[in-house]
Amino acid sequence: MVKRDGVPANSEPRSRLSISDTLRTAASGPRSRKLRSALSALGITIGIAALVSVLGLSSSGSADLIRELDALGTNLLTVEAGQSFGSGNSSLPVDAPARIRRIDPVYEVAAVSKISGGVYRNDLIDEGRTQGLTIIAADLNLLDAQRGSISQGQYLTSALQDFPAVVLGAVAAERLGITELSTARSVWLGDEWFVVVGILNPLPLAADLDRAAIIGYPAAERFLNYEYEPDIIYVRAYAEHVLNVRSVMSATVNPEKPEEVEVSRASDVLEARAAAQSTFTNLFLGLGVVALLVGGIGIANVMVIAVIERRNEIGLRRALGATRFHIAMQFLTESFFLSAAGGLAGVMLGIAITVGYAIIQDWAVVIPSYALIGGFGSSLIIGGLAGLYPSVRAASMSPTEALRTR
Amino acid sequence: MMQSSTSLEQSLFDSSEEFALQLRQVTKSYDGTPPVHALSDVTISVKHGEFVGIVGASGSGKSTLLHVIGTLARPTSGSVFINGMNTDGMSDGALSGLRSRDVGFVFQEFFLISGLSAVQNVANGLLYSGVSEAERLRRSEIMLDKVGLAHRLTHMPNEMSGGEQQRVAVARALVHEPSFVLADEPTGNLDSRSTESLMELFYSLNREGTTIIIITHDREVAERFPRQVLLKDGKIETDSALS
Repeated sequence: MVKRDGVPANSEPRSRLSISDTLRTAASGPRSRKLRSALSALGITIGIAALVSVLGLSSSGSADLIRELDALGTNLLTVEAGQSFGSGNSSLPVDAPARIRRIDPVYEVAAVSKISGGVYRNDLIDEGRTQGLTIIAADLNLLDAQRGSISQGQYLTSALQDFPAVVLGAVAAERLGITELSTARSVWLGDEWFVVVGILNPLPLAADLDRAAIIGYPAAERFLNYEYEPDIIYVRAYAEHVLNVRSVMSATVNPEKPEEVEVSRASDVLEARAAAQSTFTNLFLGLGVVALLVGGIGIANVMVIAVIERRNEIGLRRALGATRFHIAMQFLTESFFLSAAGGLAGVMLGIAITVGYAIIQDWAVVIPSYALIGGFGSSLIIGGLAGLYPSVRAASMSPTEALRTR
Repeated sequence: MMQSSTSLEQSLFDSSEEFALQLRQVTKSYDGTPPVHALSDVTISVKHGEFVGIVGASGSGKSTLLHVIGTLARPTSGSVFINGMNTDGMSDGALSGLRSRDVGFVFQEFFLISGLSAVQNVANGLLYSGVSEAERLRRSEIMLDKVGLAHRLTHMPNEMSGGEQQRVAVARALVHEPSFVLADEPTGNLDSRSTESLMELFYSLNREGTTIIIITHDREVAERFPRQVLLKDGKIETDSALS
């Protein structure tokens, strides 16, 4: 009767609690207080969901931007007249396009020129009401250089460019109220009616052209008293040489005054946009971290209350043979359970938000694995930190104190 | 001087193996002004298979004695032997292990865990002794049957009467086959009928060999105990085994 299970009665007694029993014991707390546990885990859920969805959305968004950049190409250079010293505006030499074509890796050169005058629905509209629209004369290969596309009708051709025909940029068409070309439409370009032959889709690399009415150079000279002088030249060079081309561009265009030539890469603007987006991403990440901290404090709070409420249970468990370590592990594991459940729900919510928004925006869904692993991992860390104080407090409670009922 | 007193004690308590519990000159004081002497010079020996009632009014040091016997509190001086093992200087962890093996507690308030069924509550008595869950549940079912609750295995505590809950608590105290069951006012929250039947359970368990120590203020309950130890002002006034 004294000796049992083959263990001599006088050996040093030891309490044991297997890992699976620790988990089971820890799970019993939240299981019997479901609503409170769910509410306390909610803070973590919100924080993790914010982190995952922000990282997911910015990744999906920038993946989309990269796809857009790939489609538009990073090898488009824009050549303009820059600021001149002294008074007066500088301008590009008339033979600039021809000079640029002589640079070997260049395969597309398209010039455009601003023409004074406004774009109007008809000849009765006051001249001041330009709606911010401009007239632009352009080469026939402008669309190729921009990798743009036609929304309706057609672009200018060698036949059309001699006649009063105009192609509207996307914004210009919208402002003029011309959305479809099934019936012949004309616009008044200050001196002459021009027939609208086409409408462009937006050109992401040259937003100025979206607000323009584009006509051919011969038509400009014939109908609008224009004298040829290129304002902006769009240059496509082979991608691997684009930086070299850029470096010789100014001197090629204007050997006498290379400093008056401004060369830029259109895709830089898009990249700047991506950088601006990442600023917002950081802001939202910060908010997510704050939510996570608040969630962690919520769990710590619930655990402290649990330790006080379940004082008798702690006393009972000590009487049944639980060591201080067992008690600490029970409450620490319980805290882990709460935060892990909250974290898991947050990861899933974050994925759902990302997928939902990406579908609306027509993006490919990209969720970096570090967002998922980091999100869940940080919820575990928060759980550990939140459970630390309550579990130490539970463990250090004296059994006699814990068993007191008053 | 010191030497001789120790050897005298050892000769007195020589065959300690036959005792489930021995308290030797146990004193317990709490700091304060003036310091409170909850127990002074308490010496009790309980043999395996005994049924002992420790009776005392409130303030007599009953609770402190319960805690010291159950190794939940350490004596200020003196020694506590459980199943022949000296608990002096044992680490907190070792005392926990000792409780998980040798002590079975029954409390006035039952202290069942509300989210667990009867059989799970009983199985908690074996939770910290390294027995597998299946084995814990198997032994718990047997034990519930023994206390007459075979039909209540899956009931939750709030679905049972006070008498039934205390029987679950008794089963929990017995499931790991401790050296003794230590019951603190076990009938304190029960009506007279439940009290009667719980006491019957204790007597029948004792007849089967279980050592039982009941601490109570209720002289009426204690009257029928085979051995009564009367505690007053932290001292043992009478011990029916010694008279």
